[in-house]
Amino acid sequence: MKYTTLVPEAMVVAAGVALLLSSRFRAAQHRRLRTRLPAIAAIVLLVAFGIELYAGANVGSYFGGGLVQDRLALFAKAAGLLAAAAAIALADWPSEESPTLALAMTMFALFGLMVTASAGDVIGVWAGLELAGAAGVGVLAVRRPDLGLRLLLLGAAGSAMTLIGLAYVYATAGTADLLGIRQVLVGAAPTLPLALPVLLLLGALAFRAAMSPAQVAAGPILPPASPLSTGLVVGLVASSALVAAVKIAAALSPVSGVYSTYLEVVAAIAMVGGGAAALAVRTPRARIAFLAAGQAGWVLAGLATHDRGGIGSGVFLLGAFVLAATAGPAALGASGLAEMAIAGMGTLRPHRAAALTLALLSLAGVPPLAGFFGEFAVGAALAQSGHFELLALGLLGTVLSSVAALGTLRALYLQNPVDEARRGGAVLPAWTRLSAGAAIGLCIVIAGYGLLASPILALADQSAEGLGLK
Amino acid sequence: MILAGLAAVVSAASPTPAPIPGAGIFQSSYLLSISIWVPVVVAVVIAMMPNPRGRYDTVIKQIAFFTNLGLMFVLFIAYNQFQAFLPNIQYEEKVPWLPAIGAVYHLGVDGPGIVMLVLSGLIGIISVLASIGIRERVRSYFALLLLAQACVTGAIAAHDLFVLVLFWSAAIVPIALLVLGWGGPRREAAAWRFAAYWGAGSVVLMLAVMGIYVASGASSFDMDVVLKSALGSRAQVIVGLAVIIAAATRLPLFPFHGWARDLYAEAPLGVIVLVGATGTRLGAYLMLRVLVAAEPDGARLLSPLIAALAAVTVAYGAIAAMRSRDLRHAGAYLALVPGGVTAFGLAALTPLSITGSVLALFTGGMASALIASIFTTVSDRAQTRSVALLSGIAPRMPKLAWLTVLAALGLLGVPMMASFTAEMMTFFGAFKTQPVGAFAVAAGLALTAVAVAVVVQRVLFGAPNPEAPAVSDASLGETWYLALLAGSLLWVGLVPGGPKLPGTDTPLFDPGLMNVMVADVPEIAAPYTGTGP
Repeated sequence: MKYTTLVPEAMVVAAGVALLLSSRFRAAQHRRLRTRLPAIAAIVLLVAFGIELYAGANVGSYFGGGLVQDRLALFAKAAGLLAAAAAIALADWPSEESPTLALAMTMFALFGLMVTASAGDVIGVWAGLELAGAAGVGVLAVRRPDLGLRLLLLGAAGSAMTLIGLAYVYATAGTADLLGIRQVLVGAAPTLPLALPVLLLLGALAFRAAMSPAQVAAGPILPPASPLSTGLVVGLVASSALVAAVKIAAALSPVSGVYSTYLEVVAAIAMVGGGAAALAVRTPRARIAFLAAGQAGWVLAGLATHDRGGIGSGVFLLGAFVLAATAGPAALGASGLAEMAIAGMGTLRPHRAAALTLALLSLAGVPPLAGFFGEFAVGAALAQSGHFELLALGLLGTVLSSVAALGTLRALYLQNPVDEARRGGAVLPAWTRLSAGAAIGLCIVIAGYGLLASPILALADQSAEGLGLK
Repeated sequence: MILAGLAAVVSAASPTPAPIPGAGIFQSSYLLSISIWVPVVVAVVIAMMPNPRGRYDTVIKQIAFFTNLGLMFVLFIAYNQFQAFLPNIQYEEKVPWLPAIGAVYHLGVDGPGIVMLVLSGLIGIISVLASIGIRERVRSYFALLLLAQACVTGAIAAHDLFVLVLFWSAAIVPIALLVLGWGGPRREAAAWRFAAYWGAGSVVLMLAVMGIYVASGASSFDMDVVLKSALGSRAQVIVGLAVIIAAATRLPLFPFHGWARDLYAEAPLGVIVLVGATGTRLGAYLMLRVLVAAEPDGARLLSPLIAALAAVTVAYGAIAAMRSRDLRHAGAYLALVPGGVTAFGLAALTPLSITGSVLALFTGGMASALIASIFTTVSDRAQTRSVALLSGIAPRMPKLAWLTVLAALGLLGVPMMASFTAEMMTFFGAFKTQPVGAFAVAAGLALTAVAVAVVVQRVLFGAPNPEAPAVSDASLGETWYLALLAGSLLWVGLVPGGPKLPGTDTPLFDPGLMNVMVADVPEIAAPYTGTGP
């Protein structure tokens, strides 16, 4: 019974491996099976989500402390499972070139997030991050090998920085265990030799968390990564980095003086820069990516408080982030490459448009949606810790993000549908019962996050408490 | 005589609750939640309704209208059952929401609050009537309008700073989308400017709220807790400044009025009514609730600043309207004036001026909405916005001409209009503490009178211009919504204490706006009693 807690991980890995292997067999090419695979995968993830909520409450450690099941693990895994299920159900499968591979990579990215969330030591954190990043590379490379290569190079740079930072922290503390590192560092002096690797490590994590626009939105011609892979990179991979940042920040909190200012600057750049960039771009998919980067900045701002309240609020916001950032691009479908392509989507695809609207507004921090509650909680923690300047910059970023989101909503609802020729080759996502149901479900979750904010925030607060924060 | 009567009405407030007509007819613990969330639910239902080729446009308009009518009915009973002589909040709802940070779903209204709620309910109906002419994307329009109304009602009923920020900020998106989707030729500029100003105001309000949260040391956003904790004078001034800026972006006060001209000139009529009457009054309500009622030291120190902003706003509105070549712009500038008067009453910090400001929340909202929307309607019916082209059109649009004159009188606060009562109380209260400001605001009002006279004389009663396009009079829908706005000003102006049975003191069917609104005002004004020269 002790290992029941790990059943969701097992289900995700088994599903991923099965999907990967099935692409080699003729059975997977069967049309009926192909069309039902996304529904089956989404159901598997929802079952895993149910098991996680049921069994995940049992706190414990496994494999000699390599994996721990604490409240943060429960929170992040549950959020990731729900977000991945929503993204898979919402994705426009006709526009995915290799559905089995895309599904498999989504499962592996999710598994990476789960490993990061459960990691008891720095090795687990690193392994989880790499797994999620590799899955992102894999799914992008299916359609555009050059994009996959770019992501691989960017990821490798981040990975190297992370590894160097973790190695130095391990060398300084003499242990790889996260709680052990924290205990060793209590009373340690914040020296320059300690500061440099820590800055490297946190910089790498921030880079990974907020670099998604560089992968899905940059370039002279917008890269036509598939919608699901965009959501995977913007949501799941970035969330893995943010979860890792939460764990590392908690472990290093006794020497917070060495990275405090740095983290504040990074958070401020992400919050304001994300909002400003979202306002500057017109492409819906790029806008989502920048909005996500802005909200990732809010999560980092929560970490900058170095206390339980702030980090708990950051975790609370992370739940909203992973949902909207993962499922938003999937809701957008292949039509997210030009604003004109989504004109009138509110009329032609009302369910998708509603899901996309709520995802966008939640990422922008507009009330009364999930993102607003998270950002408000982080804001309260920032105020209590005296970071009013960071709060003001974050709010500025939120206003910029909100105005940017309004621009996309205008195209969705206020512009008349255009004919296919003017959509720039992009077709609106297909309507299926699965996607309609998922869109409604996503709307309910994003709108209901605030209604259920009390237990969710309490769980997030317990997550921070479980990391040893006061 | 009128002032003596008013003073008698105000002083008649006794600590003993009088039997309230209508009590027991309607009891609900969730009355305020109903008035907030029913429009949201109806908006979602409307948004999801199938409406192929606009087949159900009329049904959607009827749903929006009857929803508002039903809400007005509920709010009227709430107003009628309001215990006018209790100094505490009523219809209270309190549910823990985010205990970890001290946020509570806390709703409740006192005298000023119930006045604002009645205003919001009335404006809900009027804004739907003013939107009858909408033909494109009817479903989206009315869904957004209902959402915007719900946000305004929520901000009024909020008794927790978290809930206040939530509704205050949430109003921006639906209103901006309404302007973007159904506005005039310069709607894009109007919508972005509106979103930027209101967004900036929300940021400043959020900072103020966080400042109060931290300075109170209570780890709570509940107004009962944080607004009753004694902040230091420095904290009060800093928080007060932020509240003034946030309020000034909404009311709006000079120099934070940049959004108003474009929005009033470009927005659809229903939005002009909603924003002009209730959306903007939230600014004054915020100042009353969070600064005047809670931070007496800060309010005292900052009162000259508020008075100066108010005086400049009134004068600026009048001069800009006089110089304007565009009729809609003139209406927009004139709509700034009542906000200045309301803010000035709050700056004076005397019981009488604060009472006047509370009444001005209602009358100023009505007058602003009326003047801005009637100039828009006249320009629509005259097919031009140019003041140079429009001349002597009164004989060809008699209904609009009468209503324009009523709007002008309501704006200027002439006797028998509700705004007269509010302005008199404001000035009589203010001359004690802010004599210079009172003189400046009064001078601004004189300029406003000149501006109104110039515009109305030129447009309505000048020599007819043969080159002007053909004009037509108001439609039935337009007449109804404008008449309701003007009628409300007249009604409250004629019987501020409520209609009585002839020869008795028995209220005919309501306890009167004056009686209701003064509940809690003595409490608000208590720190300022006895101040002045």
